[in-house]
Amino acid sequence: MSQFPKILTGKFGKGAADIGVYKSLGGYSTIGSKLFGLSQFEVIDIVQRSGLRGRGGAGFPTGMKWSFVPRNTGKPVYLVVNADEGEPGTFKDHFLLLENPHQLIEGMILCGWALGVRTAYIYVRGEFLDCIESLNKAIAEAYEAGLLGENIGGSGYSLDIYVHRGAGAYICGEETALISSLEGRKGQPRLKPPFPAVSGAWASPTCVNNVETLMAVPWIFENGPEAYAKIGTQKSPGTKVFSVSGDVKRPGVYEAPLGTPMIELLEGEDYCQGIVGELKGCIPGGSSTPVLNPEETRSVTLDYEAMAAAGTMLGSGAIIPFNTERSLVGMLKTLTHFYAHESCGQCTPCRDGTGYADRLLTTMCSGHAREGDVDFLTDLANNFVGTTICPLAAADSAPILSYVKKFRSEFEALAAKNPERAAPRLDAHFRPGGFW
Amino acid sequence: MPISVREASGKMSNSYHFPVLPGPDSKLVTIEVDGAEVQVPEGTNLIEALETVGIDTPHFCYHPDLPLAGNCRQCMIETDGPRGMGLAIACYTPVRAGMKVATDRSSEKVKKARAAVMEFQLANHPLDCPICDKAGECTLQENYMKAGNGHSRMREEIGKAYHGNPAHRTVDSKGQSRGGKHVDLGPNVILDEERCILCDRCTRFMRDVAGSEQLYIADRGDRAYISVFPGTQLDHPYDLCVTDVCPVGALTSKHFRFLQRVWFLKKTESIAADDSLGANLTIEHNEGKVWRLMPRRNAAVNKSWISNATRLSFRDLETGRLERGRTDGHDVSLEDAFAKAGQILSKARKVALVASGHLTNEDNAALLALAESLGEKAEVFGGSWLPVGTPDGISRSGDPVANRKGLEILGIPDNLDDLVRRASEFDVLVVAHNDLWGAAPEKARGLEAIAQRIVLSPWVNATVERATLSIGIRAWAEVRGTMVNCQGRIQLLQAAPIAPDERLEPAWQLLSRLSGERWSSEIDAWKSCQARVPALAALSYRTIGRSGQLLEVA
Repeated sequence: MSQFPKILTGKFGKGAADIGVYKSLGGYSTIGSKLFGLSQFEVIDIVQRSGLRGRGGAGFPTGMKWSFVPRNTGKPVYLVVNADEGEPGTFKDHFLLLENPHQLIEGMILCGWALGVRTAYIYVRGEFLDCIESLNKAIAEAYEAGLLGENIGGSGYSLDIYVHRGAGAYICGEETALISSLEGRKGQPRLKPPFPAVSGAWASPTCVNNVETLMAVPWIFENGPEAYAKIGTQKSPGTKVFSVSGDVKRPGVYEAPLGTPMIELLEGEDYCQGIVGELKGCIPGGSSTPVLNPEETRSVTLDYEAMAAAGTMLGSGAIIPFNTERSLVGMLKTLTHFYAHESCGQCTPCRDGTGYADRLLTTMCSGHAREGDVDFLTDLANNFVGTTICPLAAADSAPILSYVKKFRSEFEALAAKNPERAAPRLDAHFRPGGFW
Repeated sequence: MPISVREASGKMSNSYHFPVLPGPDSKLVTIEVDGAEVQVPEGTNLIEALETVGIDTPHFCYHPDLPLAGNCRQCMIETDGPRGMGLAIACYTPVRAGMKVATDRSSEKVKKARAAVMEFQLANHPLDCPICDKAGECTLQENYMKAGNGHSRMREEIGKAYHGNPAHRTVDSKGQSRGGKHVDLGPNVILDEERCILCDRCTRFMRDVAGSEQLYIADRGDRAYISVFPGTQLDHPYDLCVTDVCPVGALTSKHFRFLQRVWFLKKTESIAADDSLGANLTIEHNEGKVWRLMPRRNAAVNKSWISNATRLSFRDLETGRLERGRTDGHDVSLEDAFAKAGQILSKARKVALVASGHLTNEDNAALLALAESLGEKAEVFGGSWLPVGTPDGISRSGDPVANRKGLEILGIPDNLDDLVRRASEFDVLVVAHNDLWGAAPEKARGLEAIAQRIVLSPWVNATVERATLSIGIRAWAEVRGTMVNCQGRIQLLQAAPIAPDERLEPAWQLLSRLSGERWSSEIDAWKSCQARVPALAALSYRTIGRSGQLLEVA
């Protein structure tokens, strides 16, 4: 394994949640004349040169996102940190917020200066009570140390950070739904355009970034964008924190440079130390990403481009390998139930499509599977993808389509077990093209 | 007419804004639809732009007078974007010059997407049509015929399921989960939760038009349902409009449900006669009875809304009517009453004629013609003592005298107080549909000094009670004619065949017979209006049309 700096998890286990410890480990060194001597455009330029990409799932270049935020509109610019970590299998932000909250605050001050932010929000998933406690403590410490509030470090720049607790909806991880929820409305995604960068919270320019993204920024400042760009691959620079769960010997949160082979993460001595049982497949980036079969799992590397080439996504970095004892249909049923439960109910295809897919899978698993059900299921999934406001329906359709494509025999075996599998369907009496 | 609610809600957030509609001065641009070039208004929402070239796009959540929600996903079209042709919703896509659009006429993808949305929409929608009040005018039925699959491939074991309000869930005899039937929301509206397709129109109406957020969508996913807040009810003066915007039979009016099948109803387009904005509406009647009044869209007047008060005013059309003549406390036939009125007028020394803003211009022109035929001994008065309220910003101006502006353009003065002062000069008073004693009894008492009081009225009211001779006439829904609203817009009333007695005459006919002119139709009366008012000269009933014409003098 090659050597690399642990940018995000390096301060784990050292008590860095305390501001004294964090400072003694070199924290907050960027906040001072080093930052305030730079213009806003120079700060954005540094981030752009580092090649940092958003860690929330889509991998959009962070510097470019910051450059889209308009200036001098007469409206305040808001920074919103997306800490509504809800993707099944993802638990990295939880540990980052718990162990290293000051690094997020430092990243927010850097971003705040770059965008001219006066007020910033951290939208934390409602269930993360311990994170909210650690964040509130860290923010109080930062205020006391003069790193937040009025006139930071005598620079004339002021920034306030508020922690907003979510109310337990997966969809509020989508940025426009998050903004609606932050405004006090029902957490439902909005039609785009306008995009949040132009008209987000309270119809003002808003920058929404993931926790991990902002936590990488202080290191980039300290060591220079070129040093950051050297880690990882050329198009996907830097390190990423992966949450590994499922059938591995040592599940947990691991930081690795982008471009690391997935199999190294699963079997490497420094990481998960091997699969339990025989590998059957792997969910590579959170439950909404298409599944990989064993060959793909062994060959793919962990960066945005290689994942896209394998027909899947790096997503939030939630890796779930599973062994041959797992039932794919059962897994899919659980996942689909999750998405049907979390659909916000706005768009028809998602609201009724995921719900129907959920009930169809439940019927199939309870011994009533019939011939043709698999095709019906995939057709439903094809019908609710790409026709909705936000990608939640697509997040359900991707696993359905990939599970069926790669493990079709398991679905068909269910129908073979049902003695009434060929019972006539209602539409057998239908005359195509007839009035009814 | 200021719509303050609309502006206020726009400032709060970017999530709700109203569609851009084609107007008379929209700039036309060329776009390509299904391979053919067409001219459509620039910047408008594509669904409206396609409508202007005759392409109908099925939709549920889109409504021209409500903010965009884009959640039903039925109006899918394909359009060119940075990544080539792709699906988009027509209601949220603005028209740009040169854009390419493919509708279901040329794109299989669009056809499939719309059929898929229909399938999802109906996955849990009950097969209630035989007992549903909306059947026959249901958007879901209509769109299914346009864009549906024509057959079901849903599994019978899975069935339909109602997951909404846990307090309203039941299991029917087939073991299917059902529920949410007959939920009482307030004094006017009943909700059927399982029929609801969650298009959000009713909640948007209440929030952004009515300005009172009394409805909301509770829960999420397919468990979502419409509800009022705990301990409150739906009781807004416009709440019946939610039953109009509801595309399915989820919200129904307590005043109409189960009374008539909608396909039996005949429709007569008219305007509201209880307010000077003259909200456009449709009188829906069957077998001589009005069953409901429905708003008729007029972007310049009442948009798509009418108030509950206007909507329920049809109930007055069959109660308390003056169907015959009445003199000295006993009923006489209409013809006898008419003959008596002629005798009184012929013997009169000095006659005061009172015109009314509740009558059409034609009626008032007939009154003027009567005054002219009586010559020197007649004098015309006009106006009303009814109190004037304030505009509500939606479909009412607050002035109950619907045709006040019409009196003005005919040159009839607002001088009822003069009449009271000079009452002793007259020996005959003719009041045409103007409830003077009902509006201000103290002032009207002075008029009792006039010995002979002839009253023409559709209803028995305080003025009829004080008359020495009263004659029944037709009410607003039963006559054809014009009124001028408070904006100065001349609008058409049409006659529905619903008069309680077909021998009742419109006021203009009665008055013209009294004057000896014997006009044969309201066209003659209209010509008399045109002769008096030059601004009307270029107009006809046809050019006034469904949406009226703004007059330049008014």
